[in-house]
Amino acid sequence: MGVNCYVPQTLEEALKIRSEKDCIILAGGSDLMVGAFRATGVTPYFASDVMIIRSLKELQGISRNNKGQIEIKACTTSREIASNPLVPWVLRQAAGKMGAIGLRNSATIGGNIANASPKGDMPGPLYLLDAIVVVESLARGEREIPISEFILKLKTVAIEKDEIITKVLIPYDDTSFDAFFYHKIGRRHANAISKLTLTSAIKFSRRGSVTDFRLATTACGVKTNRSREVESLLIGHKKSEIPSLIDSVTTAFDALLTPRAMPEYRKESTKKMIEDFLLKVSHNDEQKFYE
Amino acid sequence: MEDRTSSPECTKYEEFFNEFLPKDNDTPLVSVESAVHRVDAISKASGELKYVADIKFPDMIYARMIRAEIPRGTIKKIHVPSLPKGYYFITEKDIPEGGKNCLNMIASDWKCFAAGVVRFRGETIGLLCGPNREKLLDLEKQIKIEYIEETPAVTIQEGLDCKGGAFVNDNNIHCHLKLEMGENVDDIFEKAPHVFEDTIETGFQEHVYLETNGIIIRKEGEKYVLYASAQCPFYIRKSIYTLLNIPIEDVVVRQISTGGAFGGKEHFPDVLAGPLLVAEHKIGKPIKLIFQREEDIENSVKRHPSLIKFKTATDENGNILAMDSKVYYNVGGYLASSYVVLQRGCFHIMGCYKFPSARTEGFGVATNCYPSCAFRGFGAPQAIFAIETHMCHLAKHFGIDPLEYKRKYLIKQGDTTITNGKIVEEVQCPKMIEQLTEASDYYTKSKEYGYGSYKGIGISFYNHGGAFTGNGESAIIKGRVRLTKNSNGTVDIFCGQTEMGQGINTALRKIAAVTLGLPMSKVNFNAPDTGVVPDSGPTAASRSTMVPGFLVEKAAKEMKERWDNEESFSVEKQYEHPEGYPWDQSTFQGYAYLGYGWGCSIVEVEIDKRTTEVQIKGIWSSHDVGNCIDKRIVYGQVNGGIAQGIGWASTELLQNIGGKFKETSFSDYIVPTSMDLPEQKVFFANSPYEWGPYGAKGMGELVFNGVGAAYIDAVSRAINRDISKIPVPSEYVTDHVLHGVSDCLKEIK
Repeated sequence: MGVNCYVPQTLEEALKIRSEKDCIILAGGSDLMVGAFRATGVTPYFASDVMIIRSLKELQGISRNNKGQIEIKACTTSREIASNPLVPWVLRQAAGKMGAIGLRNSATIGGNIANASPKGDMPGPLYLLDAIVVVESLARGEREIPISEFILKLKTVAIEKDEIITKVLIPYDDTSFDAFFYHKIGRRHANAISKLTLTSAIKFSRRGSVTDFRLATTACGVKTNRSREVESLLIGHKKSEIPSLIDSVTTAFDALLTPRAMPEYRKESTKKMIEDFLLKVSHNDEQKFYE
Repeated sequence: MEDRTSSPECTKYEEFFNEFLPKDNDTPLVSVESAVHRVDAISKASGELKYVADIKFPDMIYARMIRAEIPRGTIKKIHVPSLPKGYYFITEKDIPEGGKNCLNMIASDWKCFAAGVVRFRGETIGLLCGPNREKLLDLEKQIKIEYIEETPAVTIQEGLDCKGGAFVNDNNIHCHLKLEMGENVDDIFEKAPHVFEDTIETGFQEHVYLETNGIIIRKEGEKYVLYASAQCPFYIRKSIYTLLNIPIEDVVVRQISTGGAFGGKEHFPDVLAGPLLVAEHKIGKPIKLIFQREEDIENSVKRHPSLIKFKTATDENGNILAMDSKVYYNVGGYLASSYVVLQRGCFHIMGCYKFPSARTEGFGVATNCYPSCAFRGFGAPQAIFAIETHMCHLAKHFGIDPLEYKRKYLIKQGDTTITNGKIVEEVQCPKMIEQLTEASDYYTKSKEYGYGSYKGIGISFYNHGGAFTGNGESAIIKGRVRLTKNSNGTVDIFCGQTEMGQGINTALRKIAAVTLGLPMSKVNFNAPDTGVVPDSGPTAASRSTMVPGFLVEKAAKEMKERWDNEESFSVEKQYEHPEGYPWDQSTFQGYAYLGYGWGCSIVEVEIDKRTTEVQIKGIWSSHDVGNCIDKRIVYGQVNGGIAQGIGWASTELLQNIGGKFKETSFSDYIVPTSMDLPEQKVFFANSPYEWGPYGAKGMGELVFNGVGAAYIDAVSRAINRDISKIPVPSEYVTDHVLHGVSDCLKEIK
């Protein structure tokens, strides 16, 4: 009876353990420890060995790499992400509205991705920004996988048994778009699990036509919903034409949504948030617009 | 980001508190207005204070409660694995001869251990005891219980319909009462130009005390001593001594620091204490039983859900001629304290109003839900929510501003109540209207927002009868308090009131210190031990400051007179009911309460048109608490009571599906956070109470009772939909917008 708990001191050591043992990786523990809890005074239950990587120095921090991407190491906490100006605004919003302060001090971006919960806070903005998940193994080195391909389904990600998520690369920053939208609906205004989250970004050309438009929603199906096809409905159109295109965007986007509970509420709210944002954007003359 | 410590709201509070911030507790107090340090603040904030979970005795073992997994049926067989040495499974079979398998709450029908029959899911079947908690968990999984399942009745309607067959009496009615004042309402209904029907419902509510339930029992000499997180040590003693058929004094209850209760630790600790007593009797070792959070939410008492039907006669202009009501409370599997809860509900069914004629009939409905019990307000909030909401529906129907409609009927000093007693004190509601309409700019906003603008303002009036009903304090409770002067000049208070975060420890010491002209630091008050203190009655019914506090003042007054002549002595005082205010408990006729707390709240909301999320823009409240024994404590009660009341009406959805509570963790059961509430504007309009300490009367429940109705009034107006059922989380607001009705009154004539 009982499982082993490994606390490696370096990433190399961690990768070695990972290559040899079948173990669960624990970073912040904010999800895993809740699931493993049995009773006060009783050791938490894990089905296999556990490796705690929370304190690995190689997995901390936020920087811009030489390709211009924002690089967020896997064990960076929500609190750090929420307060770092390098991080795109929509992701800062998501990180800052996750759980309570205590949780944000422990939860990590790597954990939030690996957990692959349909209600997870960070995947929405990460999908929106075409984030790339970097995994590493001793045998094959680094591997880059787009977030949309990394999260496979509920609680399942495309990681091999000997790999560890080491970082997330974001190819955009706040200068990449002109207008941003992020709205998380929880059952209260703080310390809530997402009931529905919508995030969006738009870029205009100097002449005022849409060059990029993105839309992602979470908690409306098993995975984050995003569709380049729906987004293309606006691309190339003038700002002044947006209001006349809203209906086609919301109708096409609605078809992607497969909420399990309270579908009417989730679909209706999604539609109205998109409408409202696009109308505001179409009337906005400011250089940057955050909603 | 989101660093709230730097927000301007917090600074304002700081300024307010600085005004009342004391230098120390060593300066003699001259008035109750003087600021003092809360006596328990530092030990709680620093974490030094010990709770039940922190206490360990030599040789102590642990217990896990084994419960029924079905809501209704009979137990066919219990398969218990072979237990290692030192492990025990205690059931009703371990109750010694002469002992009774019941818990004496107010009624004695709740079984200590389910014996054969299961009335609700979570009913205690046994207690698994032993030294190792991991082993206990493993053994628990191996216990298999075979049942013959029966169809449960879960909702009030299912209970009334006797779904699955009646299991209490022949109609599932645990208890019933009827009250009438004025003329016969049926005659008035016949003649009246309009008669309306309206049905209002409220849901379960979980107490969410910060500390879950927990008790340790151990034998000390010949006494069974319980270290309990509890409101009412004397209740526990009375409830369980008959299990072993021993003298009541052989059970001693010592209250341990209690991390919140709200009524949830009034009778409920008996459910832990009973099986523990039987277990200690059998095993002879100290035993600790502490519930986990989800276990506690799933298997403990709740606020009674209610279904209240009004039938109201009006003239052509909407003037109320008579009101009839039927009040149904979901009592659950056992009656326990619910008859008294139902009585209080019926006594408060007219809210702050007087109608020419009224009748009400209350029914405590048996269902296969976990029994409902005390919860801040004790039956009054459901009735007040119902009458307030019904009044709003009538006002809207007749096109009158709800405030204007309600104020016509506000009850006054000397007016007759539904129990045909009179209101003794001056009612301050008119003053509250002045304070709050000005502060909130109610009239302008009410007109401007109207109905359906997604902005709304709402108002409610409410009261709460302080202490036990009628002459209960003198006839039933007979509360006693003792003060002792020690030769070193310090004073000890001996009294059964319990500190559970509400501040009674500070309040009682302050009353004694002010009366005696001593500094707070010279007055001691320890957590009660039933073997040491006189029974001053339960810490419940908003009575602790009002009644035992008054006895402390009386005793201190006598002590002051004798102070210089005697070195060490004691003074004991017992409660006496004032002459001239009769009450008949058998007919519920007379003066139900000599001192009510009164309140008015205004709530302003703005609703997100896209998502129907509700943002509370302002909360203004005014209360008559007689006098504030400690202003900061009273502010804390107002802020907390209002937050809890908003939660009850909005986010705190607790569904019972097939006899099982669905929302059992804090990520499912949603209590509001400080981010959900604005800074509250707090006013007072006090009518001092003749028989309370320095004029103070009950206020702990009052501040919960009414704000839910003001919130719902505001939300209803914002979306132009009548709301008849709470709670209403924001996703349900969408439902009302899409499918609701703007006038829900059913005109039957």
